[in-house]
Amino acid sequence: MSEPAIQVEGLHKSYHLDKVMLHVLRGVSFTVPAGQFAAVVGASGSGKSTLLHLIGLLDRPDRGTVSLAGQDISTWPARRRNHARCMEVGFVFQFYHLLGELNVLENVLLPPLVNASTLGWWSARRPARRRAMEIIDRVGLSQRLRHRPKELSGGERQRVAIARAMINRPKVLLADEPTGNLDSATGREIMELLKDCNRRDGQTVLVVTHDVSLADQTDRILHLRDGRLSE
Amino acid sequence: MYKLFLCLRYLRSRVIAYFAVLGVALCVAMMLIVVSVMNGFLNRVEKAAKGLFGDIVVEATSVHGMGLYDEFIAELRAKVPAVQAASPFILNRCFLQVPGNTAGSQIVQAAGIRLPQRADVTDIARGLCYQQGDSQPTFDPPVRELLDRQEQLIGSLETIIKKLPAGEDTSADALILHSRLENAMLAHLWSKSILQNALSYQDDIRTLQAELDAAYAKSHGEPTAHTEELEKRLDELVQKASYQPPPYHVILGLGIPGFSFRTPEGQTVRLLMAGNRVAISLIPLGQLSAASTLSLNTKMFTVVDDCCTDVASIDSEIVYLPFETLQRLNGMEAQIDPQDPNHVAIPARCNQIHVKVAGADGGEDRLAAVCSQVEAAWRNFYSAHAEQIGADASVLTWRQRQAAIVGPIEKQRTLTVIMFGIISLVSVVLIFVIFYMIVFQKTKDIGVLKAVGASSPGVAGIFLAYGAAVGLVGSILGTIGGYYFVRYINEIQDAIDHWFGFRVWDRDIFMFEKIPNEVQLIPVLLIVAGAIAAGLVGALIPAWRAARMQPVEALRYE
Repeated sequence: MSEPAIQVEGLHKSYHLDKVMLHVLRGVSFTVPAGQFAAVVGASGSGKSTLLHLIGLLDRPDRGTVSLAGQDISTWPARRRNHARCMEVGFVFQFYHLLGELNVLENVLLPPLVNASTLGWWSARRPARRRAMEIIDRVGLSQRLRHRPKELSGGERQRVAIARAMINRPKVLLADEPTGNLDSATGREIMELLKDCNRRDGQTVLVVTHDVSLADQTDRILHLRDGRLSE
Repeated sequence: MYKLFLCLRYLRSRVIAYFAVLGVALCVAMMLIVVSVMNGFLNRVEKAAKGLFGDIVVEATSVHGMGLYDEFIAELRAKVPAVQAASPFILNRCFLQVPGNTAGSQIVQAAGIRLPQRADVTDIARGLCYQQGDSQPTFDPPVRELLDRQEQLIGSLETIIKKLPAGEDTSADALILHSRLENAMLAHLWSKSILQNALSYQDDIRTLQAELDAAYAKSHGEPTAHTEELEKRLDELVQKASYQPPPYHVILGLGIPGFSFRTPEGQTVRLLMAGNRVAISLIPLGQLSAASTLSLNTKMFTVVDDCCTDVASIDSEIVYLPFETLQRLNGMEAQIDPQDPNHVAIPARCNQIHVKVAGADGGEDRLAAVCSQVEAAWRNFYSAHAEQIGADASVLTWRQRQAAIVGPIEKQRTLTVIMFGIISLVSVVLIFVIFYMIVFQKTKDIGVLKAVGASSPGVAGIFLAYGAAVGLVGSILGTIGGYYFVRYINEIQDAIDHWFGFRVWDRDIFMFEKIPNEVQLIPVLLIVAGAIAAGLVGALIPAWRAARMQPVEALRYE
């Protein structure tokens, strides 16, 4: 068995909703080996997205640890976490979250742009642009480089979001309900793209979805129910 | 890099940012206009004061004046190397009349000056009309030159008349203007005819006057049969020429009420010009005798020029006479000892000595240092010659002399700039409100940026750079707008006056003909720096708020 790309141990997370404390995750533990395409399935509000945010360094757990490639991320300082969000983890959101002022190419180039210093960008921009073109071509949007998000369909926007997540070749790709806002045909195309990333680039892909039929297309399904995980 | 990239992109694509830029631009333009006009106003007051008094004023404490001024000037120039030039000065109230025109009578101030020496101390030569551009102006310019200049004035007036809409405008104002211009043309032609007549007599008058002066010098100022004979001949010649001898030439201030008027387009039209004669009467306040014995001295003078200092309060108040002539009229001439005609009992006196300092633009400290040296020289000179000098004198820099005028204006300028500065703080509030709104609108973008690795300082940097860019672009636009507004401020005022009949700048109130329209570099740079700082300050809290956002909260924001 290959080394774990994602390792979650006893993860707890709770939120205050008005005056009520919601225990979203209650000691979640699991491991995803490198190169696996896994899915976390659960009902709405079961804590799937919260789990993904904790793995993707977008939030901090109350208790428990998350390790990426064997390293406990809870010990990382802010600078290291920022770097990991940019270079080591790619995130695909349900609502795409593209920047409306930027076109397709610029949205895809955002992570390398964030990673580069002002002077460093002048040397990094050519390879970054080449990689962006290559990946945009791969998601089938090479004809729409200069289009703004508002000029694209939902499926196209999600492809741009996937291209953005993939541009820095992260080892882990996290997708939060990537087809949740799309029709079934487009959803299948998006799943094919994610599979392609997993197969061709060897990326570890973790998808959370409430759609069991979608989860069936992955190598492994994890069920999240009442803040606890079961396989 | 992304900070700059996104800042420029937001600046271009957010319409609301244009309002922030517009707000900053308006505040910058407003500050620039206020600071430029106020600074220009103060500069002109200072320049006018220096133009009238030179850099340092030695002023007699008594109305009778101080003697031995030429001796003191010579000693001053020898002992204080920084003194570039010095010139005596007499000032007295006088009654100015135009023969045959009682309506043209005015109470003005007669200033006794020496030409061309005066031009070394002040910039009087700059504002002369007939001797324009002449660095050595005189009270006795060649009549031929006056005539040539008169032809030019006639040509200018013809141009003004030709530009009037012929017969179209029958309003009362237009008819009055027509009538005034026609009268002015008659006055111009009248002046020309006097000068033409005087042309052939000028040399004879000069020669005879020189002979008369020599005769009086020989008789120690006492009339003799010879002087009486010469005076009679001179008088006949003056009557024929209708032109006074050089000691009785006068330069009028351009702005004495009734002697000129301004057209609605702002051109000055003269009604009394070279060649015309005026009567000047004054009480000889400098005379060293009981006040009850003072009687009015009246003399006829020929106008040989007019002077425009651009300060309405000076131009409408002062006429310039030859120093020695005013000295005589004011009873300040030398008194010969009746017992010994070769002995001067009381030397000739003046009211003030105006001193020009070399490199006076080197700052107030340098001027104050030279002023101290002049004062020390005066103290020495006075202690050695107190009896002959008479009254003691005070030594002041032009700023000290005019402190009562310049001081309040300086305070007024500071107050106005502070008030407008406070008003301009509105741009900080404007940027704050707009940026706070933008940060709310961009909450999701902030979440996305953090999700792809942007740091909190980086996100704050976007909004700070955005604020600075709004400040910079706003200040550039404001500076351009403000610069052109200041540059064409007089034309704008004329347009407002023309269309709405509302005149903001009244020369009678503000002392100057025109609104000052110079833009200085240092205040512009300070205002631009202030605008950029305002942009940064306005964006500070929104940027801090953006930086503090957790990525998950930002992404969930609805």
